[in-house]
Amino acid sequence: MIRFVKVFFREALNMLLLIIGVTALLYLLFNIMPGFFPGKGEGLFGYTQLLRKLFTFQFGTSIITGRDINGIVFPAFRNTIVLTVGSIFFSIVIAVPIGIFSAYRRFKTYSWPLVIFSYIMSTIPVFYLGYLVLYIVSRYTGVLPIYYPQGSGRGNPLLSFMLPILVLGFGNESISEIVRLISTELERVMHSDYAVASKARGESVLWSSVNEGIMIPLISIVFSKIPFIIGGAVIVEHVFNWPGMGRLAFQATLDRDLPLLIVITFLSVLCVRGGMLLKELALLYINPHEK
Amino acid sequence: MKRFYFEKERPAIESFHVPLSRRASVRDVVSIGFGLLVVSYLVVFYFISVTGTFIRDPMQIDISNMFLPPSIDHLFGTDFLGRDIFSRVVKGTEAFFIPGIISISVSTTFGLLFGIVSGFYPRYSSKIIFYVLNIIDSIPRIIFILIIIVLFNPSIYLIMTFVGISSIPKIASYIKAKVELLKNQRSIEAARALGLSQATIIFKHIVWLSSKPVLIIRATLGMGESILIETSLSYLGIGVQEPTPSWGNMVAMGKDFFFQGKIWLSTIPALVILFTIMGLYLLGDGLNSIYNEKVSR
Repeated sequence: MIRFVKVFFREALNMLLLIIGVTALLYLLFNIMPGFFPGKGEGLFGYTQLLRKLFTFQFGTSIITGRDINGIVFPAFRNTIVLTVGSIFFSIVIAVPIGIFSAYRRFKTYSWPLVIFSYIMSTIPVFYLGYLVLYIVSRYTGVLPIYYPQGSGRGNPLLSFMLPILVLGFGNESISEIVRLISTELERVMHSDYAVASKARGESVLWSSVNEGIMIPLISIVFSKIPFIIGGAVIVEHVFNWPGMGRLAFQATLDRDLPLLIVITFLSVLCVRGGMLLKELALLYINPHEK
Repeated sequence: MKRFYFEKERPAIESFHVPLSRRASVRDVVSIGFGLLVVSYLVVFYFISVTGTFIRDPMQIDISNMFLPPSIDHLFGTDFLGRDIFSRVVKGTEAFFIPGIISISVSTTFGLLFGIVSGFYPRYSSKIIFYVLNIIDSIPRIIFILIIIVLFNPSIYLIMTFVGISSIPKIASYIKAKVELLKNQRSIEAARALGLSQATIIFKHIVWLSSKPVLIIRATLGMGESILIETSLSYLGIGVQEPTPSWGNMVAMGKDFFFQGKIWLSTIPALVILFTIMGLYLLGDGLNSIYNEKVSR
């Protein structure tokens, strides 16, 4: 238990330092280049004001629309979190069985098409995949709603989450990596001495190998993929007209709305480093004897 | 007992002394062959588009031949202004070829530099370098690029330079791990005992003899990533602008006619993107499994 607290505080300190570094970098860049945001040109005082705003989650107002940033950003942030987490789960559900299946040498010929499929899925441009899915769904099935219900009382929001999650889950470039990692790791573990010994005792090799071999690499790869998945979310939100943080960031870029862009960067860095924190804790939970 | 000891202690380098033909499986040969095919057609397309021979003019508007499906005359069909899609695909390689090479060279050069410095001097410089690299690493790449576009002008060369910068941390951590592994190994100790200079040890024994495969693999993957970034940005409308062809904005322009059933306008560039990136990734993976020790026998 004390170890968890220790790791938690170490990682939280790390996270704090990195967030300070990121905001300092942004403040420096935004001060050098043209464009306006509150606190520009006030040196260290402006920077501390910015940090106070960010850490108390009172983000102020947008300089383009004049609206309160809190009211814009938090619903968008929630939508993006749903999209990201859902697509990670979807990728794992698709990729892990393919990886386990292709780790067995005697299934190599049968698993080869599946591996090719995973490569195709992770290299297809995600915007094209989005349009393809929209075309097929809207033209031939019509089961799922193809857009997010803006306003109230129109359509089921849960169902409209499905298509973007599906597309981002297939197209976030991580399926082939998870498949490759799991198949090589599992192959290595299944040929190791203790796996052979447990096979000789008549136990199931697969389950123990899965527990021993793939949990640690799987967790580390999934959490390290978070920045890429947020990047993919920008494009998927653009395709599906999804009111999330990526579209907001794109809009802020076109408007040169620097305060909003700082807030969005802060929140996404918070996501990424929070994922790292969770990863360390999960690795410690799985393997407490690790240093 | 002794045999097991040697198996465990065998350094990673030793696998390079096994001839390549014995290390490659059928799967690796197929992957690398496909990857080399992709690399060769990229290079051929680039030179065709630079010299401007063998293809129609990609900018030539021909209103009488709009939306022609693929045929012998127009290999990939024509788009909504009657322009030949095949020559636009060929011309589109210019949008990422040189920028991608810039991005790869930035990331490998600085990744190598930072990795070696922090691997050899792990006490203070490593901490500082990795603090800065972690700052870059924790901003998602697309948002980093959006910030760059807000601050500077959205030129594809600048964007690709920053894509290269954003993939420095990965290469630096690879090289750092490699240097830390190699630093205390017998071959490097022997080289030091022979009186070779630090520069020779670093550049010949560590960079050239041991890190070359990692760098080649990262360069192939980096080219794939930069094509993906370029197409995504052109799709969003902040990369290469419309009259100049690029694979991303061809897909983006074709998507408006997707629901009319004219699917080849965006499907063909998307398939070209898919094959190219898949080839580069397969090339990287095949080289990776050849250069690393094979686990199964």
